[in-house]
Amino acid sequence: MPAITVRVNGLEVTKEVGARTLLSTFIREEMKLTGTHVGCDTSQCGACVVTINGKTVKSCATFAWEADGADIGTIEGLGDAENMHPMQEAFREHHGLQCGFCTPGMVMTAVNLVENNPDIDEDGIKHGLEGNICRCTGYQNIIDAVKTGAKAMRG
Amino acid sequence: MSTFVARNGIGESQRRVEDFRFLTGKGQYIDDVNLENQAYAMVLRSPEAHADIKSIDASEALALDGVLLVVTGEDWKAAGYGTIPTKSGVRKFKDGSDLKEPPHHAIAIDRVRYVGQPVALVVAESLDACRDALELIEVDYDSLPSVTHQSEAIKDGAPQIWDDIPNNICLDFELGDEEAQKKAFEDADQIITLELVNNRVTATPIEPRGAVADYDAETGKFTLWNASQNIHANRDTIADAVLKIGKENLHHIAPDVGGGFGGKNGVYQEPILILHAAREIKRPVKWINDRAESFLSDTHGRDQVSTVQLALDNDGTFRGLRTETVGNLGAFCGTVGPFTPTGGSSRTQGGPFRFDAIYYTAIAPFTNTCPLDPYRGAGRPEGSYQMDRIIDYAAAKLGMDPIELRRKNLIPESDLPMKSPMGLDIDCGNFPAVFEKTIEISDRAGFAKRKEASEAKGLKRGFGVCMYLECTGGGPKEEAKVVFRDDGKVELSVGTASTGMGHETVFAQLLAGHLGIDMDDIEFHQSDTDATDIGGGHGGSRGLEVGGSAVTQTSREIIEVGKKIAAHRFDVGADQVEFEEGRFHVPGTNHTMTISDAIDSQNDPDSLPDDLEPGCMNISTVFERGIISIPNGGHACEVEVDPDTGTIKVDGYWVVDDFGTIVNKMLADGQVMGGIAQGLGQALMENIVYDESGQLVTGSLMDYALPRADDMPRMVIDYYEDAPTQKNLLGVKGAGEAGCVGAPPAIVNAVCDALKEFGVHHIDMPLTPERVWRAIQDAKAEG
Ligand code: FES
Ligand code: FES
Repeated sequence: MPAITVRVNGLEVTKEVGARTLLSTFIREEMKLTGTHVGCDTSQCGACVVTINGKTVKSCATFAWEADGADIGTIEGLGDAENMHPMQEAFREHHGLQCGFCTPGMVMTAVNLVENNPDIDEDGIKHGLEGNICRCTGYQNIIDAVKTGAKAMRG
Repeated sequence: MSTFVARNGIGESQRRVEDFRFLTGKGQYIDDVNLENQAYAMVLRSPEAHADIKSIDASEALALDGVLLVVTGEDWKAAGYGTIPTKSGVRKFKDGSDLKEPPHHAIAIDRVRYVGQPVALVVAESLDACRDALELIEVDYDSLPSVTHQSEAIKDGAPQIWDDIPNNICLDFELGDEEAQKKAFEDADQIITLELVNNRVTATPIEPRGAVADYDAETGKFTLWNASQNIHANRDTIADAVLKIGKENLHHIAPDVGGGFGGKNGVYQEPILILHAAREIKRPVKWINDRAESFLSDTHGRDQVSTVQLALDNDGTFRGLRTETVGNLGAFCGTVGPFTPTGGSSRTQGGPFRFDAIYYTAIAPFTNTCPLDPYRGAGRPEGSYQMDRIIDYAAAKLGMDPIELRRKNLIPESDLPMKSPMGLDIDCGNFPAVFEKTIEISDRAGFAKRKEASEAKGLKRGFGVCMYLECTGGGPKEEAKVVFRDDGKVELSVGTASTGMGHETVFAQLLAGHLGIDMDDIEFHQSDTDATDIGGGHGGSRGLEVGGSAVTQTSREIIEVGKKIAAHRFDVGADQVEFEEGRFHVPGTNHTMTISDAIDSQNDPDSLPDDLEPGCMNISTVFERGIISIPNGGHACEVEVDPDTGTIKVDGYWVVDDFGTIVNKMLADGQVMGGIAQGLGQALMENIVYDESGQLVTGSLMDYALPRADDMPRMVIDYYEDAPTQKNLLGVKGAGEAGCVGAPPAIVNAVCDALKEFGVHHIDMPLTPERVWRAIQDAKAEG
């Protein structure tokens, strides 16, 4: 098995990966970072979104070896319970999550949307969340959370 | 941190405790549960809708490196396991004969009856080995004729799904006075008839189902972690009825569950299969469904075809209502499957409207499709769709105003309390007030202007309303147990199941509010057969109604015991002690004692009166609901339809709900919005489709459309809070299902309003652009 070297949430690791190993599997099972979720098999739901070199990707549709040499960001790298990222805070404040299963992918996507467009408006948010399905919230609170999160990120 | 809540915890939009976990990737969902030395399981599912299994040859699969076990129907027969029983509340045909319940084994025995039915279970060292092994199992099928549509299934000569069940009919049903209904129809000036399809949908929680099973050969005890919403009841079924191991030998736990909406309520086959496998190989076994399997094997919902008839006078007065339904059950009786199209869809017939008489009748046949079981609302969305669609349809046919028609026929407040013609105990509410408030917040005044603006863009704008009335359901009993630990933490265990509703927050909020303790000291447990003796789990919007009442009842008993402790200290009678905001005090004296003081004393025999034992404040009580509650409300919706393409934009949405007391508005809003999204999905895009040969056409998220952020309007949600119910301790009426009860008729009504100028008065859900466009073309062709 070939080995890959990646930085996950800033920590460098070198691990052997199988040719068929998906990035989502690598993150969940090798790195034990189970905040990245898998909700489908057609890259539709977005529960598995992480960043590779600052760009969001669906880790269920990426092979682990494709990330060789890259910087990978997962929800665990964003903030912890005592010190949440402003976007995480905003999701809690606006009740932008219920079951929480879509949430890590949703938050990762949201942060990335705002990083790319700090002044993103409601339509932009809706459009930007196209690849993330939430079955619980009806999205309104997510959209409001992203607006508040964006404001906080702008500082 | 410390979080104190006031007013007995009621009325605070307390932010959620569980969010810290979920937002930081620390949630523990079923796929995050891993046991040492675990093996992996995958299911071989039937590719045939209906076929005899001639033989299964698993020898090549078993020879594969890493494959540990293959389980088939032959093993099941040899083990002598029982079948999965239905708990349907309706069990008799109209003529008094018993419901037909075919044997539902956890694995196909001799014959398969739907695509996706488990045929074999493969257990191996890795998922890759499982996948390879699945390919190598040879099953020889002999295809049989199949039928997937319920109206076809009941015809003479239709393929027989079960040899001994004539016309595939599991159950028929009636409710209401048919004679009175016929009389009302004779007396009425008009009878309007509408055929309605309530499309087949599926819950689609974003977390697929899964389970991890462990067996301890020394003690003979099993542990099952299961993404399930009904831990106690399903434990009993799995342990007692199926595996026959005794329920005391099965510890059943749900970790964090990533959505359910009814789809995770029932007893499923796979967790049972892996319990068997864990005992066989003496190792833990883990199984996780993938999304494609979820579409094939998660129970589906709705799928009813109905003929609805409304009898009314020329002045618009409703006289009678008659509904005849054929409800698809799939190939087996689901856990409560046969109840939904029968009893479940009958109770709320007629909604909040006045009728002389109502009659409901249904037939529930088997088909070669995945079994049906509750999906959010189960029966109430169907009833509400029938009622509110026939009103708009009648209004269109008779040239009446659908809003006026509702206004005229709403049950006035002065009629309450009443028993509905369907026997529903409607104790309180104010339907006209709720209706007027709905119309008011929906800015009817501005509609004409908005319509004009749409028109200028070549778009058709429509407005629709729905006045729904539903009822709660699910297990009537709930336990709430409180244990004050020495380290200052308070364990609160409730037998409910949260799949995202926020029980961890709202129940802690209630306990903290009642007792005046710090919410952050509360540790919440649920969905664990070791945590509470009984548990009603999830379903029927029962969480706050039954679980919240149990927490309240336990809190009250704790306070009573605390009063005795305080009375003992101050040497007064317990009846002289009062409790307020965390303090016991004796009015007129300076005697006060905090609740934490009382808690600290509970283990010291010297601090206790003779009739109390150490640990006396650790209390568990069971609350039992006597009569189900009646949530009700108004939905209003505006849509813009492009007549050239048939695309629909839902442009505004307003709701006024009467859920009785609102404990946590933020959570209630969340339930309503999520419910509306699911109702919108059903109305506009979601549809489970089987082809002629029984193959599932909509087997992935590419084919089965779910609403995305872009599909949703901004929703304005308000409450009518002046009619708390006396049926439970909190005055709540249940909030979980209402959103998807009201949304489909409101949305379809709005679209039909937009298209009325073309003569389009009904389109069956889902209102896809193609269906809308075709309806317009057909109406134009008819002139
Ligand atoms: S799991 Fe990756 S998109 Fe669904
Ligand atoms: S919070 Fe449950 S899927 Fe989004």
